Amino acid sequence: MNKELEHSFVTQLEENQNIVHKICRLYTNDSDAHNDLFQEITIQLWRAFPKFRGDSKFSTWMYRVALNTAITLYRKSKRSIKTQDFEGVSFKISSEDYDDTVEQQLKLMYSAVKDLNDIDKALVFLYLEDKNYREISETLGISEVNARVKMNRIKEKLRTILNP
Amino acid sequence: MDELDLLKKQWQSREQDLPKLSYDDIYKMLLKKSSSIVKWIFYISIAEILFWTILSFLVPESSTKFSDDIGLHDILIGVNIINYTVFGIFIILFYINYRKISLTDSIKELMANIIRTRKTVKYFVIYNITTSFLIIIGINLYYFLNQDIVFKYMSEDYGIANISQDQFMRLFFVIQILFGLVMIAFILLFYRLVYGILLRRLHKNYKELEKIEG
Repeated sequence: MNKELEHSFVTQLEENQNIVHKICRLYTNDSDAHNDLFQEITIQLWRAFPKFRGDSKFSTWMYRVALNTAITLYRKSKRSIKTQDFEGVSFKISSEDYDDTVEQQLKLMYSAVKDLNDIDKALVFLYLEDKNYREISETLGISEVNARVKMNRIKEKLRTILNP
Repeated sequence: MDELDLLKKQWQSREQDLPKLSYDDIYKMLLKKSSSIVKWIFYISIAEILFWTILSFLVPESSTKFSDDIGLHDILIGVNIINYTVFGIFIILFYINYRKISLTDSIKELMANIIRTRKTVKYFVIYNITTSFLIIIGINLYYFLNQDIVFKYMSEDYGIANISQDQFMRLFFVIQILFGLVMIAFILLFYRLVYGILLRRLHKNYKELEKIEG
């Protein structure tokens, strides 16, 4: 039994689990689906782990595999995901920092992001994670220029959704 | 500053709301995949027994009257009791398999459980196909040995006339055999589709586990 590999994998995933949780939040609407996706990503990561050589950071590699899993699964179930559960995506904001309109806007914004297509969503996710365009392009396997162009289009799209 | 940057600021301050899984939680996930397949096997077996039960209520009265008339009533009830008992035992076995697999936390044990589950399903399928086959053969043998009564009640219940007993019985058995074949083919197809897919997936998981173990 490859105990050592297993231990190293689980430890690293435990440390970096926030990444996976955030992807799950963005791609699913309730906690059951969240858990299912988390498990599926864990299994895909574990499958790919023997091939992870450590020439990139564990977290970078994780972004790639986890997003790919979410995108693939999302594609399969695209037709069944139609309704948007606003309660489930509710945005927790401490009220002293923001007034109601900002909170409203953020909620709207968040649900608009959730409504984006699978690839765009991945792009926004990496942007929100404060990745630069080089990292985004490497993770998603697109060129840097392409990432920039796509990102500008998404911003434009979001702007029109928010200010009709 | 655009809205996305506002969201970004918020995004990063939200980390503490995220769920937190322990080392053990994650470790167990590596083993869990098979449990959902086995859960489906359990559910489908229950759905199946419901399906057969509902179907037996839909059988037209004339058909049950006919089997009562020619003296199959008690035998059929006996067969049904045995069948439901065995079915029930299989459902319990499927449930035990499911419980075991969801509680397993070592790869070796999980592999043993997968093998056991596959075996249970195999026996279940063999049992069902064999009994359907035997029941069809048995009933027809009974018809064959009691041709006079069959013809008598058939002509009474369904009012067939203008046909000799020999001709009628020949036609009757041809239809019976055809019906039996269609029935068996349908059952075979059903098991191949439903349980075949699940068993293949289970097998794939087993192979993966073997690789991890190796």
